[in-house]
Amino acid sequence: MGTKEVPQEPRKDTSVSLADAFGNRGAEVLTPKSEEEIAEILQKANQEGKKIAVEGGGSKRGYGGTKEHYDYTLSMAGNKGVVEHKVGDMTVTVRAGTTITELQDFLQEHNQMISIHPNWPDQATIGGVIAANESGPKRLKYGSARDLVIGLRVVYPDGEIIRTGAKVVKNVAGYDMNKLFVGSMGTLGVITEVTMKLRPKPKCESLVQVSVPEEKLQDLKDLAVRVQDSMIEPVSLELLNTALSKKIINQEAYTLLIAFEDVEKSCRYQEEWIYKHKPEGADVEVIHQQEAHHFWKTFKNLEPSGLTAPAFEETQAVIKIGSKNMDVYEIMKESAGIEAGVKVEAHGGLGHGISYYTLSGPERKVISAIQHLRRTAEEKKGYAIVKHLPYHLRDEIDVWGKKTSYFFLFEGIKRTIDPKNTLNHQRFIGGI
Amino acid sequence: MLKEMAAPEKTAPCSSAGLSNYFSADHPDEDKWADCVHCGMCLEACPTYLETGQEQHSPRGRVHLIKSVAEGKIQLKEQFADPVFQCLDCRACTTACPADVDVGGLIEEARGQVRQAMPLKGWKGAVSTFFLKGLFPHQERMHTVSGLLKFYQKSGLQKAVRTIGALKVMPDHLASMESIMPELQTPVQKKYKDVDVIPTKGVPKARVSMLTGCIMDVMFGDINQSTIDVLTHNDNEVTIPKKQTCCGALHVHAGDREKGRKLAKQNIEAFENSEKVVVNAAGCGCALKEYPELFKDEPQWKERAEVFAEKVEDISKYLYDTGYEKPRSSLNKKITYHDACHLAHGQGVRHEPRQLLKDIPGVEYTELSNADTCCGSAGIYNITNPEMAEAVLDRKMENVPEDVEMISMGNPGCMLQMAMGVRKYGRKSEIVHTVQLLDWAYQKDEQNAGLEKSIAVAGEEEA
Amino acid sequence: MFGSKKRKKPQRDPHINKLIEIVGEKEVLYEDADLLSYDCDGFTVHKAMPKAVVFPANTEEVAAIVRYCSTNNIPFLARGAGTGLSGGAIPLNREVIISLVKMKHLLSVDYENRQAVVQPGFVNLKLTNSISDKGYYYAPDPSSQYVCTIGGNVAENAGGAHCLKYGVTTNHILGLEVVLPNGEIIEISEAGVPDSPGYDVMGLLTGSEGTLGVVTKITVRILKNPEGKQTVLAYFDHIEDGSRAVSDIISAGIVPAALEMMDKTAIEGVEAGAYPVGHPDDIEALLLIEVDGIKAGISEQIEEILNVCRGRNVREVKVAESEEERGRWWANRKTGFGAMGAISPDYLVQDGVIPRSRLPEVLENIYEISRESGLRIANIFHAGDGNLHPLILFDSRKPGETEKALKAGTACLKACSDVGGSITGEHGVGIEKKEEMRFVFTDEELEAQIKIREVFNPDDLLNKGKLFPTPSRCMDVKKIVKDTVAVQ
Repeated sequence: MGTKEVPQEPRKDTSVSLADAFGNRGAEVLTPKSEEEIAEILQKANQEGKKIAVEGGGSKRGYGGTKEHYDYTLSMAGNKGVVEHKVGDMTVTVRAGTTITELQDFLQEHNQMISIHPNWPDQATIGGVIAANESGPKRLKYGSARDLVIGLRVVYPDGEIIRTGAKVVKNVAGYDMNKLFVGSMGTLGVITEVTMKLRPKPKCESLVQVSVPEEKLQDLKDLAVRVQDSMIEPVSLELLNTALSKKIINQEAYTLLIAFEDVEKSCRYQEEWIYKHKPEGADVEVIHQQEAHHFWKTFKNLEPSGLTAPAFEETQAVIKIGSKNMDVYEIMKESAGIEAGVKVEAHGGLGHGISYYTLSGPERKVISAIQHLRRTAEEKKGYAIVKHLPYHLRDEIDVWGKKTSYFFLFEGIKRTIDPKNTLNHQRFIGGI
Repeated sequence: MLKEMAAPEKTAPCSSAGLSNYFSADHPDEDKWADCVHCGMCLEACPTYLETGQEQHSPRGRVHLIKSVAEGKIQLKEQFADPVFQCLDCRACTTACPADVDVGGLIEEARGQVRQAMPLKGWKGAVSTFFLKGLFPHQERMHTVSGLLKFYQKSGLQKAVRTIGALKVMPDHLASMESIMPELQTPVQKKYKDVDVIPTKGVPKARVSMLTGCIMDVMFGDINQSTIDVLTHNDNEVTIPKKQTCCGALHVHAGDREKGRKLAKQNIEAFENSEKVVVNAAGCGCALKEYPELFKDEPQWKERAEVFAEKVEDISKYLYDTGYEKPRSSLNKKITYHDACHLAHGQGVRHEPRQLLKDIPGVEYTELSNADTCCGSAGIYNITNPEMAEAVLDRKMENVPEDVEMISMGNPGCMLQMAMGVRKYGRKSEIVHTVQLLDWAYQKDEQNAGLEKSIAVAGEEEA
Repeated sequence: MFGSKKRKKPQRDPHINKLIEIVGEKEVLYEDADLLSYDCDGFTVHKAMPKAVVFPANTEEVAAIVRYCSTNNIPFLARGAGTGLSGGAIPLNREVIISLVKMKHLLSVDYENRQAVVQPGFVNLKLTNSISDKGYYYAPDPSSQYVCTIGGNVAENAGGAHCLKYGVTTNHILGLEVVLPNGEIIEISEAGVPDSPGYDVMGLLTGSEGTLGVVTKITVRILKNPEGKQTVLAYFDHIEDGSRAVSDIISAGIVPAALEMMDKTAIEGVEAGAYPVGHPDDIEALLLIEVDGIKAGISEQIEEILNVCRGRNVREVKVAESEEERGRWWANRKTGFGAMGAISPDYLVQDGVIPRSRLPEVLENIYEISRESGLRIANIFHAGDGNLHPLILFDSRKPGETEKALKAGTACLKACSDVGGSITGEHGVGIEKKEEMRFVFTDEELEAQIKIREVFNPDDLLNKGKLFPTPSRCMDVKKIVKDTVAVQ
């Protein structure tokens, strides 16, 4: 890019309606092609006191943020591609704008995978997924972004390029700076390159769906406890509420998704185990390989995102709840108390403590449902954040919930790295 | 400041190169501490560290201090003496150490140095002198004490004293020790004083000599008798060399290495003609095996000590190695086993006594958790360092299941200490020596055989 | 103190009196002879005396001590069992050492939610021992796990032989209570709830080598024991075949629980040590591979591992036939460092990490360093995650050899960082590898980290002088290293 002026030829924005709905949008969209360009844009903006919104695929445009307009949108769409991959190292270095699907397709050829399975894989970029700390039901076994990212290249607001971690799977040299950027919602720096640990693609995949009628929900919890207490090793123990079950597998019932990824013998053995221990009267369905794959693909594209045009007459919100593992069950049970008129589609991991609730209905009712969920979660020492909500409501309800007692550390970190609030200003907790 | 400390207040005892603040004779061995890489693997094995949490009371801390005296950083004073004498000498660190540092040896050498620099005073000194100098080395005095004690027990005086609480005049811990004094038996030394070789019933396969020990013989004469019976039962002739004396372990532990050497020499001579020296007190056995350590400066004696040490064997290991008859009669008891430090850590004997127990029919064996953690007895440690000893004992007792009927072990010191523990916690468990159990099972065998015989005879008669 | 006599008290430092007021007379050490035991940790090249050692019993006492120190500008640091290998707990600035060994309780275990809450002084292995009867364990297993504390593990982000499959400490921490350098107590994810909103302060604190805060309570994840376990031992005539087999196993899609390697010199050491297995003395490398998981699936993976090894010209490969045999193989491996004592009076252990696929060339470089320095180097390491432990064998009594060993150690780290690796995989930077931080980070990157420290620890009173190279101090350390004789 050399000495050329930035921004040069801003890409014309074509999706005005979406931008209006979700905010977090710059007056101009910049799509730099290289890290140097990004550094230059940031440095210049920082000097000039301009505000930048960073965007990958745009699926999280409704996630946090109380600013409708920024000066620029910095789109990472132009920064794609695998930088380095060695099969025997089981690590990959990839540019941040690469979508999850692109990356998985590439790795698939080598029988490997990244083991986070976030929503909207065709649109979501690896940079965005890491910045938002997105994960999926299989984090029970594979962990989340913070467990898998081993190195980053980050452009600081002043244009400085900082490397964190290294391309090795074990490393304690200096502070674990990777952690700082995972889940930072792009408020500290622009991630340009990600190095991650990989997993071998499982030789066999299977998914056991155990469904019980509403009044027998307790049976599923008991089953989950038995599973956890046994030697079997599921990759997910995801509980679906009846609305979501109905939607995906057409079962008006609570469903527990017990997935296995291992060599074939192990999968079969574990499926058998579930059969043997299934609650009386439960409906058990087992699907394998492609079919299971297909299921998860559908599953990952269910929730509304920043790319879904909002329905005219109803408000949609997605809530992420963090709780103790088994409180996922309690919270789901209590969510049945959400007032009528709001459709609640929910799933949560009994082994990992993260639940997602998609709420749709009239605006006011959705708002009060959010508050209901938040109360329930907080009573159990958990939290509820709103990860998808139209812009105008985000102003009304603090999507990040209450500030933690050590919020001053967050402020300190932000002030140290981005003193002029150049990046994703007000996007994160407490208006950071 | 270290500098100030390093500046000698009086004259440094010795200023020869490399030894700095140590006396030149018999100083701690540099090669021993050089192996310590300060990794800390010993910490959790050390009862005094577990109790205090302070590293000067840990093995690596003590080694560090011992080294620091040599480096001239500290002097042979209380601050050094304190940690060095707080050590229980349990040797658990030796087991834990990946580099095989001989912490026990270093501690004993350091104690020798401390005692040269600052002789004991006060009641500790008095107790020490009474036990170590006045009593243990003198068999005849031990026997007199034994006689007195026995009179005290048999005459009903003991009962009276206990009832009227006259014990209150004694320091607390001595009083509680008195309360667990075992019923005394005749010492075997006395009993067999006119017998040269105690014969076997059948054809002898070997002849062994026995160290009778001081406490063992006086307080636990019955255990010595059991040892003899078990040995002869398994076709070993037994001799009790007359000139043997106290093993000196307690003297060496207390830093009186000179006396230790004297006793060692006497024993080496006393057992010169023995092929095997069997010991039933772990502390004594360990001390005998370590005699060579005492003679760094006397090469001739060192050589004799090495020959001698080779002959020494714990009774359980001796039986295990040479074979023993498995009893047929049942002792229907729930039994656990406590590893005496000087057996497990000091001599590496762990499996053998357990196997003996398991070979007795009817024994319901339960493993004690942390079985090889010190009970706090540690020679006369429980007399000199009562608070720590009690804390260590408490920790030990936490691990003893309530329902065990017998706690078996291989060391008289431990037996007294564990008896105190059992009493303190109101437990019912009996404290026994491993070899006693075997002996009782054999006795039962004989009774049964006698019975069978008489039944058989009776049967024949009837027919 | 137990049985210790009251000593004559010299005029006491008023700060000491204040500390005694907080924790009590018995819980403060301040006389030099008592402090001597705290002049270093598991890294003995450098020694320095603290001002005092205090033993708080609870979080409030820790906070009070920290507040007092920070108000009075007294440097301080936290210490656990003191088993660190990089000098992270050495008081370079006459610190007040806050020893956390008396905060050593297991506070709660919640099996249903798979978490346990411990105090920082709780010993790593004790956690597993406390929950094993229910079939659970705590995964991070550094070889010092018999004695090291979980608080120390958090500070160092400790690893272990089985972290290849299960991850290191940071992957198992769910919540922390921390006393910040100003004395404020904060609670991060009190209930062990994942993804706590906000920056991942917990992730930053883990592995910060005690420079950002004093951890006073830890919520950890506990795991269920695997159903089955099998262990393979493979002997190679050529080291390169062994290294390539490591990569091949991983490439084959197997995630072993552990994948350890030893080279010829290392084998000579372990065979002379306390736990010999009877490895042949003429092989160049051996691999110790463990697979765990669902029993039904293990044999298939073992078969595949055997095939990979055969494809790399293995001389002999066998599967442990009993738990006893497996135990012997592991004891032989785990006591490896100590066993080097049997073939060398001193050794220096390094801790570089490399991408697995670069193993053959880096090992060759290390042998070159060995040839150049004239010192033997044994390699005994976690091959599966590329974490090398070159053990540089030397004799400190020979003039100049200590310096040579230190130089060779640095060269090994350079060889690792040159292939995109790291200077430390689990031992930490401490004071030992401060200067080598420059091998992996630019000045700007170091500055970025220091700025983070300033957010937490603005006056740099907490564990000052660790982790980062500072020009003047680095010179000092090098000089001291030169002056020191005793290395490991």
